[in-house]
Amino acid sequence: MSAIREVKYLQEMQHPNVIELIDIFMAYDNLNLVLEFLPTDLEVVIKDKSILFTPADIKAWMLMTLRGVYHCHRNFILHRDLKPNNLLFSPDGQIKVADFGLARAIPAPHEILTSNVVTRWYRAPELLFGAKHYTSAIDIWSVGVIFAELMLRIPYLPGQNDVDQMEVTFRALGTPTDRAWPEVSSFTSYNKLQIYPPPSRDELRKRFIAASEYALDFMCGMLTMNPQKRWNAIECLESDYFKELPPPSDPSTIKIRS
Amino acid sequence: MTDVQVIEENAANAVTAEVVEKDKEAPAKPPAENNKPPNYKRISDDDLYRHSSQYRMWSYTKEQLEEKRVDTNSRAVASIEEDLLKFREAHNLIEEEVKILEAKAFPLTMEEELSLVNFYAKKVQVIAQHLNLPTEVVATSISFFRRFFLENSVMHIDPKSIVHTTIFLACKSENYFISVDSFAQKAKSTRESIIKYEFKLLESLKFSLLNHHPYKPLHGFFLDIQNVLYGKVDLNYMGQIYDRCKKRITGALLTDAVYLYTPPQITLATLLIEDEALVTRYLEMKFPSDEKIQEEEPTENKEAQNDGSKVEKDEDQGIEDDKTSIDSAKLLAVIMACKELIEETAPLSTEDAKRIAAKNYYCQNPSSLIQKLKRKMNEDTSAPEKRQKI
Repeated sequence: MSAIREVKYLQEMQHPNVIELIDIFMAYDNLNLVLEFLPTDLEVVIKDKSILFTPADIKAWMLMTLRGVYHCHRNFILHRDLKPNNLLFSPDGQIKVADFGLARAIPAPHEILTSNVVTRWYRAPELLFGAKHYTSAIDIWSVGVIFAELMLRIPYLPGQNDVDQMEVTFRALGTPTDRAWPEVSSFTSYNKLQIYPPPSRDELRKRFIAASEYALDFMCGMLTMNPQKRWNAIECLESDYFKELPPPSDPSTIKIRS
Repeated sequence: MTDVQVIEENAANAVTAEVVEKDKEAPAKPPAENNKPPNYKRISDDDLYRHSSQYRMWSYTKEQLEEKRVDTNSRAVASIEEDLLKFREAHNLIEEEVKILEAKAFPLTMEEELSLVNFYAKKVQVIAQHLNLPTEVVATSISFFRRFFLENSVMHIDPKSIVHTTIFLACKSENYFISVDSFAQKAKSTRESIIKYEFKLLESLKFSLLNHHPYKPLHGFFLDIQNVLYGKVDLNYMGQIYDRCKKRITGALLTDAVYLYTPPQITLATLLIEDEALVTRYLEMKFPSDEKIQEEEPTENKEAQNDGSKVEKDEDQGIEDDKTSIDSAKLLAVIMACKELIEETAPLSTEDAKRIAAKNYYCQNPSSLIQKLKRKMNEDTSAPEKRQKI
């Protein structure tokens, strides 16, 4: 089933920031996909403390990631499993969105979906609440968490389990209220929640010391609780963060191996 | 893919907004800045469609489609004729036997193949609907089945043997999970027969599984017609049109319209069948053609054009950008042609299907003709002829 999904969606996408499906063949009753060879991934790079990277490098990676994600979304495809481990590097430093085993078409308004998608730490609040319908906004949330992780170099919202994930998420970013996200309290799991205030700008500045004001806007845009108000891929790509200095690094010059 | 390279916008200038949800939402906001780089080009929905496997692999001009069918048929004919010749050489046939072979053992013509495929494609629809599968799954089943027989001849693979396989694969591809065993049970088939040709099917489909069906454009037009003709259409009436068009679209999937036209064009054609006046009025309001200076169509479009088929509909550009307006008369002509194609496709009668299936059987199994002849000569009675069961 996941192989079928992978084939189905990769066939439709040719983009510098999406992994390339080169060939498919059948052997020993298995469907084999030949994919572009990508030597490393973002998770490895984040964890390797011997690699230093700059804000300009992060900007280049975010730009490539968002271009890949935008390409998925404009082709009506939800990725549903964005995380550093699924952002692979080509030898020339290009980021490639990979692993479409959980992907699906962007649903029509009435379709009922499973909320059991996306690796826990990168799961958007609507998924944590068990929403039966969601949109491409869940992918943007994941990108937001990845951005925070790149700046901190440790996972930003590392929940121990599904319940703890809500705790960790809302402690860091504030518990959503009906005012910011109408009817959020109607989710069944909402009542048990501890109500945390959203972080003040100063708290965010302290947490993300190196981040510029535009970088914080960019992050907050992606980590907006209400999926209706969360930035979409276009808003992210058009954000001032990408327009201010420093310009994104040339991907081929970023050192990603120790 | 060189001609459809995605243009990556310069980061400093940012990407331009696009209408992501066709027809459903208001056009996205225009670019904030005007200092576009010289190679600036916006990717339209049409560009994206040209990227899709449906367009790249399964859209043709009339000539290309014909050529493809002739090719598939002639390859099969050659191998069948060779087999027949071998059969005649290998067996010591008496005069009557040679006669009956010459009279009855002929490979199918391209037209016969096509009729048979479409006959079974209809069966695919009936079976899939009988299994209560969602509309999109039914549509994909039909599409898979018909595409399979663009690549393969019914003289090599019996259409019957692939019916359940296509429906099963469509379920998987459309995210409608059902295990092969429970599917086999429901479809009164066996696991083995369903699985047998699954890879062959995938391979013939060139591993392109994503189908763009006209149902989504139908929903889009349903909303947009109400928007453009606000206050001039009755909601209940539109609802009826919507339901009827949905059925017509499924019917259109059984015709060659799917290979020659884009999904929104097919949708408009079915709408045209339902209410020509409504669609004409809608298109004229949507794309007013009273402009004196008609913008040249992009060259890509011209290349794609071939006697009216495979013309791209630049509808979304029309919404966002007044400069590239669409000639509603020209668009109407394309949709008219599509409509005629949908309407002229007549279903094959069961008798004709049986006749073609029998012919298909005999050309592959000439020995059965001989045996039949022998039985006839032995019995020499007027026992009722056993027909090929379909």
